[in-house]
Amino acid sequence: MDWLSQLKSAKKSCMVQNNLKKVHYDFGNGKEMVEEYNMDTNVVTRRAWKVKGEMGGEGEWDIELGDPEVNPTKEQNLIIRENSGQPVVSRRNTRINLEWRIRNLPYPIETYSVTVDNEKNCLVVKTTNKKYYKILRVPELDRLRIAPQHEAIQIAHKYNTLIITFKKPKELLEFEKKVLEEVSKIQPKNFGDMDCKPS
Amino acid sequence: MASAAAAKIAEVRETTRVERIGAHSHIRGLGLDESLEARHVSQGMVGQVSARRAIGIVLKMVREGRIAGRAVLLAGQPGTGKTAIATALAAALGQDTPFTSMAGSEIYSLEMSKTEALTQAIRKSIGVRIKEESEIIEGEVVEVQIERPATGVGTKVGKLILKTTEMETVYDLGGKMIDSLLKEKVQSGDVITIDKATGKISRLGRSFARARDYDATGQQTRFVQCPEGELQKRKEVVHTVTLHEIDVINSRTHGFLALFSGDTGEIKPEVREQINGKVAEWREEGKAEMIPGVLFIDEVHMLDIECFSFLNRALENEMAPIVIMATNRGITRIRGTNYKSPHGIPLDLLDRMIIVPTAPYDEKELREILSIRCEEEDCQMSDNALTVLTRISKETSLRYGMQLIMTSSLIARKRKAPEVDVEDIKRAYQLFFDEGRSVQFLKEYQQEFMFNEDDAIEMDTT
Repeated sequence: MDWLSQLKSAKKSCMVQNNLKKVHYDFGNGKEMVEEYNMDTNVVTRRAWKVKGEMGGEGEWDIELGDPEVNPTKEQNLIIRENSGQPVVSRRNTRINLEWRIRNLPYPIETYSVTVDNEKNCLVVKTTNKKYYKILRVPELDRLRIAPQHEAIQIAHKYNTLIITFKKPKELLEFEKKVLEEVSKIQPKNFGDMDCKPS
Repeated sequence: MASAAAAKIAEVRETTRVERIGAHSHIRGLGLDESLEARHVSQGMVGQVSARRAIGIVLKMVREGRIAGRAVLLAGQPGTGKTAIATALAAALGQDTPFTSMAGSEIYSLEMSKTEALTQAIRKSIGVRIKEESEIIEGEVVEVQIERPATGVGTKVGKLILKTTEMETVYDLGGKMIDSLLKEKVQSGDVITIDKATGKISRLGRSFARARDYDATGQQTRFVQCPEGELQKRKEVVHTVTLHEIDVINSRTHGFLALFSGDTGEIKPEVREQINGKVAEWREEGKAEMIPGVLFIDEVHMLDIECFSFLNRALENEMAPIVIMATNRGITRIRGTNYKSPHGIPLDLLDRMIIVPTAPYDEKELREILSIRCEEEDCQMSDNALTVLTRISKETSLRYGMQLIMTSSLIARKRKAPEVDVEDIKRAYQLFFDEGRSVQFLKEYQQEFMFNEDDAIEMDTT
């Protein structure tokens, strides 16, 4: 079953908060996804997947798109984590581009090379000084089984941040239009304003 | 200069010994040879040959893992090495076999019922080996930095720099991670993997780039290539988790409430049933393997009749571990009844057990144990002093004798002597009473103590 029909057959619910429309997809096989649409631009600003461990339990949300969330309970029992001065990747989505921002990269722009790995269908970020290396998956394209093209990539470097922009291929743009139609059909439950005062 | 050297020595010692010295920290195993015969002095164990041989057979039974729910009772006078044998069994079983140690009195809690506490202990003793995808950090160590606050107290701060052929990253370390890095003696040039969720470190070898550092390379040093690509990978690793841990993962209240609920408390039977089903499913699919472990209940006479009858039933379950119990009681009242029974254990449960007796140590064995403890506590003792100490242990108790090691060594250090001599032992013997002399003292001066309405109520010790 292809991705579009999976989305169509999923159990969907949605709510509106300010100018954000949050859509929850339940695929029935234990998979769950949440998308956040900006109502002004109709662009997805966040997308997250529920990841359940083999052992069971509640599982955690894995943020695919948008800024990561800080989990205060997890911060307390620190075992090992990257120093706050180390590079962090965050993903953005605009109407025509997919974007990656890698912060805390102080090296000049000549240092970086971003290429497409055609075997694994992913982007590879390399540095000539061997300080940073990252494999970036493109889940949007993976799901539609489209191979990323090297020509679509552009990079820029500003304020210690490497910005990689990837121009969305036509197939993806068309697909997103169809999903948006689907999403606009769902009747939102309004949780935004409460009738009573909570305290 | 001298002070700098001293500081260096202190530092070295700290890296080699993270654990503190406990009553049984000298025990490294059961001290058996291949044919399960007990060597007289080996791996920190002394004497008690027949009991050790018997537990060696239990060890074999646990390793085979096919027999469920057997009970073994270690019975003997106080200070005859029952807990030592159990500790030795745990050490011999190794890291991967679950070994739960508890005292009989631990089950009495206001948080949960007695049977719940016992069930949790039983489920902590059953392991499941399962393959799971997990976040792994794999790289060559560039630098380990561990700093402590200048005042000497407070939490340590640690950083670890790792690299692959393509990249380099600085990691912040938590306290547990710092300890295990020190324990594993990880140094720059080692190639290691760290399980990000559990913090388990495994050393793959030393990097080829360091092959020319001729110092500090033992014979068994294995040289490996520096890893390639990303530092952090998802890999399938084999974990051993206990049934109790799976229970906890599946029963904890999540989100906002988890902040307040704290510990798990009782676990619903439905959750357990569901997990048993799931584990059975994994086993059929070949995804997981059961590892029955050992539950050790010390001071088992502290359990009451309800616990004993619960154990009777629990042992019949095919998921039950091997249960080892220890008691130093003779024929005494079963807790919660007025009946007397051997070891304070009901006869029907005794009938299900195999009983391993331990006998008091003889003088030669006492001497051997004391000298092992001297070594463990870093204490030099002259032969005469050791003989005197052995005599004291024989007359009073082994535990009292072991207490005198540290105290007399501190006394010897005060007079700047290199080793403990007979006088130091004498001095410590005068300063600290053993149980016998204390009783004597009380008998003589009872009149002057409070609440001495003589022959009042005797303490109920059962």
